[in-house]
Amino acid sequence: MHISDGILSAPVLIAGFIGTVAVAAYTLRQLDLDDIPKVSVITSVFFVASLIHIPIGPSSIHLILGGLVGVVLGIRAFPAIMLGIILQTILFGHGGVTVIGVNTMMLGGGGLMAYAVWQLRHHFNIKKKEMIFGGLAGAMGIFSSGIVLALSLVTTGEEFIATAWYTLIAHIPVMIIEALVVGSCAAFLAKVKPDALAGQLPLAPAVTATAAETTKPSNEDSPK
Amino acid sequence: MPLDIDRFAKLESPLQRWDPRIKLFTLGIFVFSVALLKTLPIACVAFCLAVGILRLSNLPYDFVASSVKWVIFFLLPFFIIMPLSYPGEAAFYIIGLPFAWEGLQLATLIFIKAVAIILTTFSMFGTARFDVSMIALQHLKCPKILVQMLLFTYRYTFVFIEEMRRMQIAMRARGFVMKTNLKTMQVMGNFVGTLLIRSFERSERVYKAMLSKGYQGELHTMVKFKSEQQDYIKSALVLVTAVIILALDFSGLFLPAKQSWF
Repeated sequence: MHISDGILSAPVLIAGFIGTVAVAAYTLRQLDLDDIPKVSVITSVFFVASLIHIPIGPSSIHLILGGLVGVVLGIRAFPAIMLGIILQTILFGHGGVTVIGVNTMMLGGGGLMAYAVWQLRHHFNIKKKEMIFGGLAGAMGIFSSGIVLALSLVTTGEEFIATAWYTLIAHIPVMIIEALVVGSCAAFLAKVKPDALAGQLPLAPAVTATAAETTKPSNEDSPK
Repeated sequence: MPLDIDRFAKLESPLQRWDPRIKLFTLGIFVFSVALLKTLPIACVAFCLAVGILRLSNLPYDFVASSVKWVIFFLLPFFIIMPLSYPGEAAFYIIGLPFAWEGLQLATLIFIKAVAIILTTFSMFGTARFDVSMIALQHLKCPKILVQMLLFTYRYTFVFIEEMRRMQIAMRARGFVMKTNLKTMQVMGNFVGTLLIRSFERSERVYKAMLSKGYQGELHTMVKFKSEQQDYIKSALVLVTAVIILALDFSGLFLPAKQSWF
């Protein structure tokens, strides 16, 4: 999901760049030395995973996974998504050089919003909360990206209002698919490798401790 | 879609010989000036210029077309949505929907500008090795950390595409068929999760290998840039053209595709 070159007006493009530079500067400063290869390697996985097409009836859509980036990388989702967008621009010509700012705000912002939703899980004590909040985070990623996309179209000019509505409606099936995929992926990661998920240790040491206890015996069982 | 944009970097042409730093800077400015255009005739001129620059680069037609056709495909809906949803006077009605010529004009403008910019992107990044382009970006004051991450991401994209293909073959071999149902979503979620775990473990190994080779956050390269008078002449030519088309566009000689653009 991205917007192409040549549609948006100059003020919107500039606002996108200013916003991206500000948020990227802040989030890049949070990166440690060992984060550089790690974030980049994971970014390339998301880049590759977004090539997966899922059939809906006769047609198909490709995964975006902006929400999952937030669930896995936390705050670092923003620079990761920015990398993905720059790479997509250079390699495919999708989007374009002038809309890197707007597209990063759209999808990277979605990643950060998804992370915020994902963190809410600590306040609940229910079964399968990774799956539920992962799904909500996946839906949130697409939802907030769709809102930013619609806003950038509407602020460009009133003749784009109808287009903005169409794109918002077109995002509903994407949102459902993303919610299901991200939800089951989060549940899978919580079961298999909980420390791969963002915001696990510092906020809820009790949760990860129990997760570690439950995974330990099963690891010992498996060789038999 | 070809992922290795720099497949034809070894071809011999004025663009390949152009100092990458100056090339990226100049064509970058050109791209932004195209994005700001708002009159159709000038957009057509810019499109011809973009095609001309691309022809100079000697990049094969198929290589460019395979990517551009997708972009065109994504832009086609505009030709339907814009004329039918344009506010104001309708020229005539199609099954009750107002059809406005201004909307069609605007859609054409968007289309021409977008394709022109994409063609220029190919001239920018298709004419030098990817790592050379990235280091050139670093010389243009692009943050070092960003350049490093782009290089890593690019390199590992190929590794994970291979990994994903292997996993997909394994899934098909076990009889998995993608359908529109809950099971498929769940399997795909687990698929992405497995890919992620593998990448996590790989990234740890990569980082350790880098540390043992003395990595301290700096990237050392043997790429050397040399700019000659010719490079500056090419740059001046493109920049002057960009200024001329922008000036003509704003001069009011031509009617904008839409009156109140800003």
